[in-house]
Amino acid sequence: MAEQTQGAVPLSAVIADAATGVALALRGEGDPYALSAVLRQSDALAPAAIRVLGADVLAPYAMDLPGAPAGGDDAEVVHQALTSFPPGADASEVSVWTYRGLVEASHTLLSASARDWPPPPDAATGWVDADPWPKLSHRVSQLAALALPGLAPGLAEQLTARTDDLARGFVRAVRRRDWLQAAGLGRWLARLPDAPESLGLDSGLAFVRHMGGDDPRVTLHVVAARRFYGRGW
Amino acid sequence: MTGGRGDPGLLDSMVHGSLGWLEESRDFFRLPPNVTTDADPNLTLKPLGELAELTQLIGVLHPRDEFRQTARGLFAFAWNETRDGELFAELIRGEPFATYPVELYGVFAQAGLRHAEADALVDTTTRLRGWRVAREDHTRTLGVLNAERRIGLRQHADSGAVLALTGLGGLPEPWALDRKAAYGVTHDVFHLTDWGRNRQRLSPELAGYLRLWLPSWLENWLEEQLWDLAGELLAVTACLPQAPYPAQAWQRLAGARAADGSVPEIGAAPSSGDRAEAFTACYHSTLVTAFAATLARIASDEAEAGRPAGDTAMAGGRTSCESETAP
Repeated sequence: MAEQTQGAVPLSAVIADAATGVALALRGEGDPYALSAVLRQSDALAPAAIRVLGADVLAPYAMDLPGAPAGGDDAEVVHQALTSFPPGADASEVSVWTYRGLVEASHTLLSASARDWPPPPDAATGWVDADPWPKLSHRVSQLAALALPGLAPGLAEQLTARTDDLARGFVRAVRRRDWLQAAGLGRWLARLPDAPESLGLDSGLAFVRHMGGDDPRVTLHVVAARRFYGRGW
Repeated sequence: MTGGRGDPGLLDSMVHGSLGWLEESRDFFRLPPNVTTDADPNLTLKPLGELAELTQLIGVLHPRDEFRQTARGLFAFAWNETRDGELFAELIRGEPFATYPVELYGVFAQAGLRHAEADALVDTTTRLRGWRVAREDHTRTLGVLNAERRIGLRQHADSGAVLALTGLGGLPEPWALDRKAAYGVTHDVFHLTDWGRNRQRLSPELAGYLRLWLPSWLENWLEEQLWDLAGELLAVTACLPQAPYPAQAWQRLAGARAADGSVPEIGAAPSSGDRAEAFTACYHSTLVTAFAATLARIASDEAEAGRPAGDTAMAGGRTSCESETAP
């Protein structure tokens, strides 16, 4: 897929705008959230952006707040993304898991819609136990959108056994100034029950937000860690 | 991480290569005639002191006799360069309130190499109230305390209280360490444990903290090709009870060795052919490599023998001034 089409905004900008909209909603700011407002169905890049952001496009609906139920337009745009970009036979583990996360979130958070959601695809789990910690950390950070309450419970349980390794990945990512990786890992560590005390996860998340907050996806992960798991400030 | 058997073949080849290069480089460790006046101590006293510190340990503790012999030869050379300790008396007379002559003298004193006048001088200067004034660098203060222990002087401060003020004692967020702070942590461990001779001085809390975060730091500084710091972190790893053996990290450090056995401090060794430049760029990291590989070899032997952590494996290397930790 081309990153850019003639005369249009690049995909990265569409993703950034959507991430900003999600983060605002998670902070309880701005208008009531509607995915179809931050990613218009008419935008040719909307399905691709949804496919990249995965379950995070529905994250505001996971908040325990009254009102703002997901609208029919949201179901439409998500459905379009799921059907436009299903993971191919040679898709990476990250791609399959991201897709699966979005499918799971659609089942749960867009259940009111009359849509027929595809079944969650089988996603490999061998890497969770087998990867050396730097590689594991990189992959898990790319799956930050799955660190939502109730999502991918099996994966979360498997990752619990590797909490220390993910914490090591967080340390490495911060030292490398890889803020996106650090934010994604910090968000997962916020979800897991036993992040090591000496890591300083709360101040670490705040630090990452201040240092890397120019990237809306960094902000989104840090805000999600705060909103759903009460970590960071 | 649990204790792991190391790779004695690799570790020994690293000690062999490092000691060989250090032997070849003896002349660059020689002290110039102006050492107590206007020579740059960072290019004279510091390298010689580091040579003495680490070869003393290798000369006593390495399991292989041929390495002990080579290391002892280098240590004897270093003592000879101090003119059997006369240097320390001169340095102390020149700067009676400085700590570095005491720290350097302690390296030799722990091995029983004493100089009567230096002993008399430090006995006087370290009794002063002024000696007890807190210093800015707490890591360095731990080093001074260790030197006092080695020489048999009264400790001028409580080491536990000083440790609490250091980078290690404060248990900083592991992602908040820069290079300087990381060197501070490695030296906190070296001074606290007397360079790995008394590993049980690491509390379980500190050992747990290090065990958790050393892999991240190693990965970071190996990526940056800062071999010198990576070597120190490997030495700290080998100081842990039931020390883990990070095989990949050792292989990466081994890969940084030059054909002549030296290990550059950072990146690749200078290729200008200037031996003095090569010495400055390599001597510390090469020494550190030999030191770390010695500690790792000892830890590996312990894992092999299935000995529990913190036992008497290091007893042969303990200094005579360690009575406070003896049973």
